[in-house]
Amino acid sequence: MSSLLVLLAPEIVLFITTCIVMIVGLWPKLEVRSLAMPIAGMGLLIAGVLAINTPANPESILPNIIPYAKAMTAGVGLLLVLLLAGTVDRSYEAAVERGELRFNPIHTNRAEFFAFFLFSLTGLMLCASATDLIWLFLALELVSLPTYVMATISTRKLRSQEAGVKYFFLGALGAAIFLYGFALLYGGTGTTNLIGIRDALAEQAASGGINPIAMAGIILSLIGISFKIAAVPMHFYTADVYQGAAAPVSAMLAFVPKTAGFIAMMGILAAVGWQYAPGGETLAADGVGTLPRSIYVTLAAIAVLTMTVGNVLALLQRSIKRLLAYSSIAHTGYMLVALIAGPSIAAEAGITSNGLGAVLFYLLVYGVTNIGTFAVVACLERPQPDGEADELDDLEDLRGLCRTRPVLGWVMVICALGLLGLPPLLGFWAKFLLFTSAISAGEIALVVILGLNSAIAAFYYLKLVTLPLLEEPEGDAPATTPFASRTFAGVLSAALVLLAIIPTGIVDAAMEAADRAGTIVPANIEAIERSITAEALRDEPTPIIDR
Amino acid sequence: MQTTTPQLAETIGALGLGAADTGAALEVATGPAWAMLIPMLPLLGAAIMGVCAIMGVRSKLPAWITVGLLGFSAVLAAAMYAWLPENGRAVSVAWEWINVSWGDEPGQTLKANFGFYIDSLTCLWMLFVTLLATLIALYASEYMSHDLGAGYCRFFAAFNLFVFSMACLVMGDNLLLLFLGWEGVGLCSYLLIGYHYKKHSAVFAAKKAFIVNRIGDLGLLLGVFLTFVHFGTLEYKDLFPMVQPYIEAMRQGAVGDIPAVVQLIPVLLMIGAFGKSAQLPLFVWLPDAMEGPTPVSALIHAATMVTAGVYLIARMYPLFLVSEWALPIVAWVGGLTALVAATIAMAQFDIKRIMAYSTVSQLGFMFCGLAFLSSVGGAFHVVTHAFFKATLFLCCGAVMHGFAGQLDLRKLSGVSFMKGWGIVGIAMFIGCLNLAGFPFTAGYFSKDMILAEAFITPGPGYQFLGVILLLTAGITAYYTFRVFFRVFVGPKQFEPGDELHGHDGHIDDHHEEHGSASRATEADEGHTPGDHEPMGGSVEERGKKTHEHPEHFHPHAPGWAINGVLATLAILSVLAAALYFFPGADKSHKGWAGGMISGSSAALVVGGEADHPTRLAAFVGAEPEQGTLFGQDPHKIMYYVSGVIGFVGIAIAFALHYAGRKESERSAANNLLQVKPIRTAHRWANAKWYVDELYDFALRKPLWAASQIFHLIDKLLIDGLVNLVGYLPRALGKGVRPSQSGVLHSYAAAMAGGLAVILLIVLLLSL
Amino acid sequence: MLHPLTTLASQPNVALDQYLPLAVIIVGAVGFAVANIVLTKIIGPSRRGANKGMSYESGMNPVGTARKRFNVRFYLIAMVFLVFDVEIIFLYPWATTFPNLDPANPDAGIWLFRIFFFLFTTIVAYVYGFRKGVFNFD
Repeated sequence: MSSLLVLLAPEIVLFITTCIVMIVGLWPKLEVRSLAMPIAGMGLLIAGVLAINTPANPESILPNIIPYAKAMTAGVGLLLVLLLAGTVDRSYEAAVERGELRFNPIHTNRAEFFAFFLFSLTGLMLCASATDLIWLFLALELVSLPTYVMATISTRKLRSQEAGVKYFFLGALGAAIFLYGFALLYGGTGTTNLIGIRDALAEQAASGGINPIAMAGIILSLIGISFKIAAVPMHFYTADVYQGAAAPVSAMLAFVPKTAGFIAMMGILAAVGWQYAPGGETLAADGVGTLPRSIYVTLAAIAVLTMTVGNVLALLQRSIKRLLAYSSIAHTGYMLVALIAGPSIAAEAGITSNGLGAVLFYLLVYGVTNIGTFAVVACLERPQPDGEADELDDLEDLRGLCRTRPVLGWVMVICALGLLGLPPLLGFWAKFLLFTSAISAGEIALVVILGLNSAIAAFYYLKLVTLPLLEEPEGDAPATTPFASRTFAGVLSAALVLLAIIPTGIVDAAMEAADRAGTIVPANIEAIERSITAEALRDEPTPIIDR
Repeated sequence: MQTTTPQLAETIGALGLGAADTGAALEVATGPAWAMLIPMLPLLGAAIMGVCAIMGVRSKLPAWITVGLLGFSAVLAAAMYAWLPENGRAVSVAWEWINVSWGDEPGQTLKANFGFYIDSLTCLWMLFVTLLATLIALYASEYMSHDLGAGYCRFFAAFNLFVFSMACLVMGDNLLLLFLGWEGVGLCSYLLIGYHYKKHSAVFAAKKAFIVNRIGDLGLLLGVFLTFVHFGTLEYKDLFPMVQPYIEAMRQGAVGDIPAVVQLIPVLLMIGAFGKSAQLPLFVWLPDAMEGPTPVSALIHAATMVTAGVYLIARMYPLFLVSEWALPIVAWVGGLTALVAATIAMAQFDIKRIMAYSTVSQLGFMFCGLAFLSSVGGAFHVVTHAFFKATLFLCCGAVMHGFAGQLDLRKLSGVSFMKGWGIVGIAMFIGCLNLAGFPFTAGYFSKDMILAEAFITPGPGYQFLGVILLLTAGITAYYTFRVFFRVFVGPKQFEPGDELHGHDGHIDDHHEEHGSASRATEADEGHTPGDHEPMGGSVEERGKKTHEHPEHFHPHAPGWAINGVLATLAILSVLAAALYFFPGADKSHKGWAGGMISGSSAALVVGGEADHPTRLAAFVGAEPEQGTLFGQDPHKIMYYVSGVIGFVGIAIAFALHYAGRKESERSAANNLLQVKPIRTAHRWANAKWYVDELYDFALRKPLWAASQIFHLIDKLLIDGLVNLVGYLPRALGKGVRPSQSGVLHSYAAAMAGGLAVILLIVLLLSL
Repeated sequence: MLHPLTTLASQPNVALDQYLPLAVIIVGAVGFAVANIVLTKIIGPSRRGANKGMSYESGMNPVGTARKRFNVRFYLIAMVFLVFDVEIIFLYPWATTFPNLDPANPDAGIWLFRIFFFLFTTIVAYVYGFRKGVFNFD
């Protein structure tokens, strides 16, 4: 039990921070109220430091994922906190400061906004810790429920409310689907524990094939979770919600639920295992294979459709946020390819062949890069009389930005190139790992489609590059936000994207995080389990499992 | 070729090539770190030139900086020579450049350091490259002074970049760095030939040089690839020991043991060498390259860059020794190039162009030297040629600079006797003597080493080749002194060129060369008053004559920089002869140059003892043991033969162009041209044997036609496909777009529908 | 559509009869709904009238605008009620089982910690509500 508390330390810290933020954000004094954001940042920092030092959890289906996933959450969360500054209550606080209104906590949203943000991140961390289907479901919902509210309250405009309502209802539908899937999975295997499910499925596979009910459960779960990662056919909400919500919230929506969804998918797929004979539902002779055919076909079809639909729709957009929303869909498709490729099971596979590690690294890179592009949108605004401001969301607004607002212009250029995956930017290495892992898994057809899609994506990413960089500005420089931390978040993201040195340390961490996931051959289950336990005991002088 | 094999094998065997104790001898020491300054200083210079251009420097500052940096490089090159270790080779690694590994097996690591292979061959080349570059930069400081400003900076930037590239080429410790330098010098050559980028002919010439060189570079690149494929390394220090077994096999006559791949490598490398060093059939770019400013012609297109081919073969000599075809091909290509270029040079009027053909011809000699197993001769000729040819070019440049771009030998006379032109005349005379192979000049000794070997080295038709080379030597003497007697002595007369502001180059020349086929029939070897407008007459009379050029033209005599450089170079050209006698580090070798070669990879015995006995300095008195000519030491005989031939050539030139010019209205040369066969030959030679036209007909026209066809295909098919590819995603997007209606319940329906479809598919799959 | 079921049945490790109660419940539920509708149609008296035709809306007048405003505090009160009523109910099972635990049981501390954590969250919710001004009913 206490070991579980050690594993959950980052979540606990985040929860306590949430409680503090929730109270502090309602304080009548402005100075104290303003501390909500810094406190949230501090909490994330502490959670991140704790996360790095969290031990592996041998009871988890993804034993080593915790330190990386939680540290990534905290790191990207820090960037997001900077970006979220000033999203809500702007005109209200201005009116209070002018003395027109008296501060009344019931009319403010600051406390809830940051608290919900931290709740969502807590949910994401809990996803990484999940060992059980029920836990996983609760964690996924903890990720999503706050985001519905955040999208709604992010601006005082009707479009945000519309976006929030759409997001909520469709999210509920998605949740219903994967909850139904979880239920069937429980029905098909008799347990909700993921490791138990893995063993049950392996046993079923060894003796004739996976139970159709369990199989239906897996597929429903995957499709339901597709909502979180914005994959076809659950992608419809994406563009409307991203456009309706304020840009900082959209940046968050592009990272937090997506990461949670991918980690959940990894957990479920790891329970299935990449050990089936290609094109069939039976186990491969040597235990080195792919997913069962039904799951493989489902995921491959989703991957191909997702990246293609995302890219072709992004081509037509004039709104930057819609464009980025569709590009977010496309990136989901890219990552699904590596997910299909799976972890490397072959004996001497290097880091370039671990698909799960590639996905984990890609999530981080995508999160950081995406924050940069959304930060530019969040920083450009058209002031309005009531003190609120409208975001500049049209591609035309980027024209000549490198001249008029050089910092923002260059952030946009660098981050768009990063999303495109131009060497030697960070995005290139992320995509490189996707490619190599898929190639080493023999998914040549998917790799070709991935390559074609990357080429299509270049069309619209280059728009984001050429418009600020090469075009002449029209008219005056656009106004920028008074919240310097947003610009800082953008610059920080761009700097990270520019980190041209191969981020070997991070890649290694991602690969290590995906280590020993779903590599269990049924005949060897017990032996492998024994070895895992023995290794855990050897690695940790004090046994962390105290029963 | 079949007959070659035993011959060459026998020779190499007899020469005692490939000593067995190569293991110890091939050890490589660690070189000094400061050696990297030799290329880095010019690179720094190039960067500074860029800064100067940005700052808008309009003084001669760039030139002085260049001279200073290059001078320091030259001092360092000398220091590197002084440092040279006992066993003669060292590697000095500046930094790791490329190191890619895809396995642990040998040959699965591509390693190319930015490192330098320092041996005596490197030192020899770097010494004359940096020294000449320094001197010519000084010369150019005055020569380019009409262009102060951005152009001046651009010139010196490319100049510095050239020296950097050349240093990479020569000093690189692997074939990849050599290739980098190789391309680098090609690029700088392109930039400098096209220096007057507004002049059509200069741009044309630059492109021609670049494109022709590409053909050669392809060969070189394939050679490098093949080397890596077969030997698994590109580093000399690893490569040369790997060649040892093959040399051993060659020595024992077991040619069959040498894989065909190994024999192919030198042939490919050779193609690269032919391109860079302007040998048949790739020589056509070099004469046109004279469009560049004269200092460039002197440094790049006479002294240094064009010898890169010779360097390549010398550096990779072990590989050439183990191929049964490579060296004979080199010999024949070199010999024929020497002859063809010399005959063309006889019939040209543009003195710079004559010098260009003479360079091609002399390069042919150098290749022959290498092919006749006398790498010492080849390398020594490179050195002496570098000095005297630079002298000759710079003299021509001084004339061009002083006479407003006039280069036609029919329109200049008696230049040496004009006021202020004395040093130019003397320097030119010394250069001409060297080129003509006048006894006891440096050119005489170095050419001799090559000629003699032709008659004693067994090989396919080498004796006949020797005769060709002797004939060429005679022709060389003739056309060299034709220039000298016409331009530098005789009555003081001139007609200025059309660039009154002293601009380099000659716009008309391009037209002249293309119209030459028609004009050559009545081309007169000299001044026929009837055909041409009378020359300007003596300097005193100039003012009274009516002329298309402004009245007040006065040739401006060279200043101290040009004169100083010319004097220095002339003295160095003379002193170069001393290298033949000056003993090297090892007394047993043929002079200093011999010592420099025998310690390097170009030695016949890598890391081993001696040169071939007959090649020992016969002049110093060593008795020949084998390879005699008419029972005598071939070198001794050759001293007399080539001396006589040189005299004959000079005498004919004297008769036709000095004595003959004075005597009658129609010069003796013109009288000769009345004879039909000579006239025809002259016409063909003047038209450069129609090689350019042949290329035009055989390559350019068909390629042009093919390009038209491909253009059409491209336009219709490829562009259409590309547009289709661009159109498809957008069309697809437009098709999918209605799904994003923004209506909540249709989204929910679509999600449920998608779920249903996927479940249906899975159901069908499991049926 | 029959095939998967036969596959299911043919698998030895799947005992389909386990699902029998589920099937009975489904059939019962659907049957109940259908039966109710059908029976009311058959046996129910059908009188018509203005009030009778009006739809049932939990005692509210269904005529007029649907966008009727309620004071937001009704919702807040409802939420606070949840906090203090429904959540406190969770204390009851704990309170009944905790004294039964062996005092020497090492898990006792954890049990205690759990309930304190739960109380902590409740208190935080209370403080939040207080700060938000939920209890200022003016």
